[in-house]
Amino acid sequence: MLVLGIDTSCDDTSASIVENATRIISNIISNQTDIHKKYGGIVPELASRRHIEMILPVVDEALKTASVKFDELSGVAVCHGPGLIGSLLVGCSFAKALCYSKKIPLVAVNHLEGHIFSTFLEEPRPSFPFLALIVSGGHTCLYRVDDFGRYRELGRTRDDAAGEAYDKVSKLLGLGYPGGPIIENYAREGNPKAIDFPRAYLPESFDFSFSGLKTAVLNFLKKEVKLQAMESQYINPPLPPFTKGGHGGITNSELRTPNSKLLNDIAASFQKSIVDVLVRKTEWAIKKEHIRRVVLSGGVAANSELRKRMKEMGDEREAEIFIPSVLLCTDNAAMIAAAGYHHLKAGNIAGLDLNPKAYMPLL
Amino acid sequence: MLEGRIQNKKYISKGPDETKDIGYRLGKKLRPGDAVGLYGELGSGKTTMVKGIARALGIEEIDIMSASFTIITEYDSDPPFSHIDLYRIEKDSELDEVGFWEHIGGSGISVIEWAEKAENMLPENLIRVGLTSVGEEIREITIEGRDEKDWNSL
Repeated sequence: MLVLGIDTSCDDTSASIVENATRIISNIISNQTDIHKKYGGIVPELASRRHIEMILPVVDEALKTASVKFDELSGVAVCHGPGLIGSLLVGCSFAKALCYSKKIPLVAVNHLEGHIFSTFLEEPRPSFPFLALIVSGGHTCLYRVDDFGRYRELGRTRDDAAGEAYDKVSKLLGLGYPGGPIIENYAREGNPKAIDFPRAYLPESFDFSFSGLKTAVLNFLKKEVKLQAMESQYINPPLPPFTKGGHGGITNSELRTPNSKLLNDIAASFQKSIVDVLVRKTEWAIKKEHIRRVVLSGGVAANSELRKRMKEMGDEREAEIFIPSVLLCTDNAAMIAAAGYHHLKAGNIAGLDLNPKAYMPLL
Repeated sequence: MLEGRIQNKKYISKGPDETKDIGYRLGKKLRPGDAVGLYGELGSGKTTMVKGIARALGIEEIDIMSASFTIITEYDSDPPFSHIDLYRIEKDSELDEVGFWEHIGGSGISVIEWAEKAENMLPENLIRVGLTSVGEEIREITIEGRDEKDWNSL
């Protein structure tokens, strides 16, 4: 059974052909191919216009690479949330039009469900039940998965997602976007024990909180900048609150710490805080739910420190840890096709009145 | 901008719970069509305050998370509630791209974090809330705009 998956939930336009939810035949992601050189050029990060430009060539490329024609498809699976509403609309509208004109069944897939099922696209595959920790720029959720369609949310972030904390701290340090790979790079050279940033374990629940960590980094930087300002007149003191750096400007939150050893130490200590919490809470869930299988997915699961520490914890707890390869951890349409296959089999066909939603909890 | 204008009412919050509480009491006074702009640096408690405002509209606190990623998160409350976060917005044109204007005014209530990013385009009757860190946990909260007398005794 061949399914065409489409994902336009965030920055990347992606289309993929997957057979029986397990075998990837093609998986095209706009920012990882040279397609955008042919069609796109540099366009704003958030532009849904970019998805409009990319969707046709990307779907075309997915079919061509797989040597599959429309009439061989058993269904089209499209991500309808959560994500950026303008971006989701492009994928959904395209999928609806395609299914209507070619008379192909349409199924709607929750992005988080896609991340869970990315793990079935590679060997070894977990058996049910398992725990799934989804960590990305927009999500930090821990689920118990008993079967396809049978999920229980054990916890989620109460404020910032783990990846968002990386992005915001990276911006505070003046290091740019996306924060994950940048911070990871600096962290390699740093001492993770240099600064004792807080860890919100919230022991009464499986929820997460990373907002306080971000604030702690900001407060640390402010103190450091003051200290440096006293020592050197070349360093700009922080701006007073409500000062606008032109339209779209940030206030006094953009501080720079030019000392690279300090930068490395901040990055390493911050990363340790995040990874400690994610690993520890997963460990608690293993104990509480008596499940010794864990799937780790989402963009932050591309972080090598998290991958390493999660596996070490698995070894200690004699739990199997399943982490998809990096390309399948970050956003991709193959995972949407994989989850879509199960919806097709279950007969959950979506109507042509399908509407995407930015906020869409898995259950 | 808040700076330099007469500030009608200043509240001091001793921590996240009090910030939520002030948000809750503010939320109780909001009417359909109202837009609230939140001004304050990272970590000043903007999302915390949104949790309080949303609770006043019958939305559970756990359902309010940072909206920096989705930019706009809409809730099917009565009246409908939009949690908007302009942190990632770089240009005016992106406000159109994300469907910003569909959530301002109308019959819903919207709360806008990082409102300064759309400062020159926001409605006249915007209710402005400023959050300033004055200690590790302590925040100074100012509220102004619309019927200012309403904010004197939250």
